[in-house]
Amino acid sequence: MAKKILVIDDDPIIVKYLVSLLNDNGYETCTADDGVRGYEVLKKEKPDLITLDLQMAEEWGTNFYRRISKNKEFKDIPVIVISGMAGRHLSIKNAVAYLSKPFDPDKLLGILKSTIG
Amino acid sequence: MNGIRSRNEKIKKSTGSFVTAPKMEEKEMGKKILLVDDEEGIRKVLGISLSDMGYDVVTAENGEEALSIFKEISPPIVLTDIKMPGMDGVTLLRTIKEVSPDTEVIMITGHGDMDLAIKSLKYEATDFVVKPINDDVLEIALKRAHERINMRQQIKDYTENLETMVKEQSARLIEVERLAAVGQAIEGLSSAIWNFAGGYEGGIQYFNEMPCLVAIHNSDLKIVATNQLYRERLGDRVGGDSCEIFGKKTSGQSECSVEKTFRTGKGQRSQEKIKYLSGEEVPVIVHTAPIRSKDNKIELVLEISADATEVKRLREELEATRQRHKQLFDEAPCYITVQDKNFNVTAANRRFKEDFGDDTGLKCFEIYKQRQTTCPNCPVEKTFKDGKSHQSEMVVTSKTGEQINVLIWTAPIKNAAGEITQVMEMSTNITQIRKLEDHLSSLGLLIGSISHGIKGLLTGLDGGMYLVESGFSKENREQVKEGWDIVKLVVSRIRNMVLDILYYAKHRDLKWEQVNVLSFAEDVAFTIEPKIRIQNIELIREFDPSMGEFEVDPGIVRSALINILENAIDACTEDKSKRPHKITFGVMQDKNHIIFDVYDNGTGMDKETRENLFTLFFSSKGNKGTGLGLFISNRIIQQHGGVIRVDTAPGKGSHFRIMLPKFLSESLKAPHLDDENASADNL
Repeated sequence: MAKKILVIDDDPIIVKYLVSLLNDNGYETCTADDGVRGYEVLKKEKPDLITLDLQMAEEWGTNFYRRISKNKEFKDIPVIVISGMAGRHLSIKNAVAYLSKPFDPDKLLGILKSTIG
Repeated sequence: MNGIRSRNEKIKKSTGSFVTAPKMEEKEMGKKILLVDDEEGIRKVLGISLSDMGYDVVTAENGEEALSIFKEISPPIVLTDIKMPGMDGVTLLRTIKEVSPDTEVIMITGHGDMDLAIKSLKYEATDFVVKPINDDVLEIALKRAHERINMRQQIKDYTENLETMVKEQSARLIEVERLAAVGQAIEGLSSAIWNFAGGYEGGIQYFNEMPCLVAIHNSDLKIVATNQLYRERLGDRVGGDSCEIFGKKTSGQSECSVEKTFRTGKGQRSQEKIKYLSGEEVPVIVHTAPIRSKDNKIELVLEISADATEVKRLREELEATRQRHKQLFDEAPCYITVQDKNFNVTAANRRFKEDFGDDTGLKCFEIYKQRQTTCPNCPVEKTFKDGKSHQSEMVVTSKTGEQINVLIWTAPIKNAAGEITQVMEMSTNITQIRKLEDHLSSLGLLIGSISHGIKGLLTGLDGGMYLVESGFSKENREQVKEGWDIVKLVVSRIRNMVLDILYYAKHRDLKWEQVNVLSFAEDVAFTIEPKIRIQNIELIREFDPSMGEFEVDPGIVRSALINILENAIDACTEDKSKRPHKITFGVMQDKNHIIFDVYDNGTGMDKETRENLFTLFFSSKGNKGTGLGLFISNRIIQQHGGVIRVDTAPGKGSHFRIMLPKFLSESLKAPHLDDENASADNL
């Protein structure tokens, strides 16, 4: 069964990009344009991995991360941060990878492969 | 005894070891920082970073706690999160600034907090750093805070020095005047001696303190008493001939003043030369006065000689000090006024008169602030109350209506009895510094927000290219088109953003020319029309054909108008109610202005959007807007000496009226390089 990835980003162009890239490489996707909606999608879709933007207009990615890391059911879902911000963010300690925009798609695919296959 | 000695030794020892202590304490004091954030993780990690930078970090987890810690340790720098439960960062900032305006407060903001960040700048936050916090950015912000603290200290030191200087000079002035007055008072004094009772031995002691040579002569023309200075300079001559020191015989053709006084009974005044014991020959001014006995016979003669070189030197010094004092007063690079208890300006220096007029006699607040009552927190009022110097910062208005930021420093002026009769107020013009700071702050904002924006745009470009590429390989024409549309969209956004930045980053002189109004308006309409048509919006032209030419920089005004028209298009496309949309673009004239009108029947704006319309980085369009467009349009119109007025309400549509002068003022036409521009170019 194909692995499912939740893409959270507030820029629809980037969501479209990630969805095409992931679908083309055999992953299923579901999307959300901010943390609050991301949490709803997470509960419904139970994805295998999450890509998370940090600076979003409505709610910060860090808030979303804090919420899931407190939840037993979701805290072990691996998170890849894809953000325009330089440097590792203090509040997201356990992300499996931290990719800075503009990111290298091959690097992302490599990390996905080694994380969820 | 032994016990006492050993205790003394202990005290000695401990004082010795404390020698370096105050220095260390001082250093640590300067590096104290209060860190406020509700997230424990941030407090921890940021705390470590700050400690690494050498700060003594105290943390608080909310605004209330921060405030009580602040009152206790009063740190020079506070670093606070902008969004916190309970008292938020902006309220904390305002409260701290009220209690202690000199505290540097740096705000920690999130991406969505731009409005709050701008608001906090209005409340004089030093700077803000965006989460996640980059150590370099934080260090720069802290460096700025330190620079501000140092600058303020320097200005303070400078004004304090000025104050001490003025104080010292005034003290000297008084001393010099006193000495000079002694010379002039001698005549009056000697007439008072006429009625001087008592023996000469008793009388002479009054003169011991006098900076003159005093001798008393008897009718035998012998010296009977001298004062101390006389003895020091000329030796003990009691019993000697009265006229000997002047190098003249007691009898002869030209009699000496003492002799003449006995003969005529009148006081004499003459210039003589005498020789001191040291061999030095000096000119003196000699005053003599007869001292009469009760039966009105001249019994004695009082002779007072003042060293003329001394008098002359004192006079010159007095003049020079007065001159220096005046110069200091006039040339000091600040506005200096002297005010009485009713805040009436009783004296003002040249700079003040130049910028605020020389209507001395008006009240301080009438001149500076055009108000009828004292300003809140008036430092002059405080100085009258407690006799101490006070500091404050205000915006005042010059006689030409210019707004000037001033740093005010006051000092009491006391009379001989030690009462404060007047207060001196020194105000340093720091407008340029403030302007530069504003520019730096918005530039910091700009850099922060665009670097994030550009990264997003580049990722979007990657996305578009990926869709095109993968569409080609899958022979999916739909996806290729979709990808290509994204590429075009992102490229046009990048283009707009770069153009906006280029305009903002550099102040440019107007490239003005005479332009025909009608063809200019036609050209603008022609450019925008396709964009309007494609959205099924009707464009209505209302051009008054009778207009001639106006002076304008057509390139930038054209883009300002197009920007406003593009906003009208957005307002129409956002509006989902089904009515047909139309945009009216009109141009007409009054006596001195060319007036452009842009009406749309789109969404209209609420009060908040209306108020922030021309604010830097304000955008109601989410990801679509940079928040630069209308800010720059407004700047362009203002640069021409024009104004933009906006009339709008939600659901009602909007009306932008752009008024431009027909003729540019000469100062706008001439290329100029004032300080602000020069510094902007250096940035």
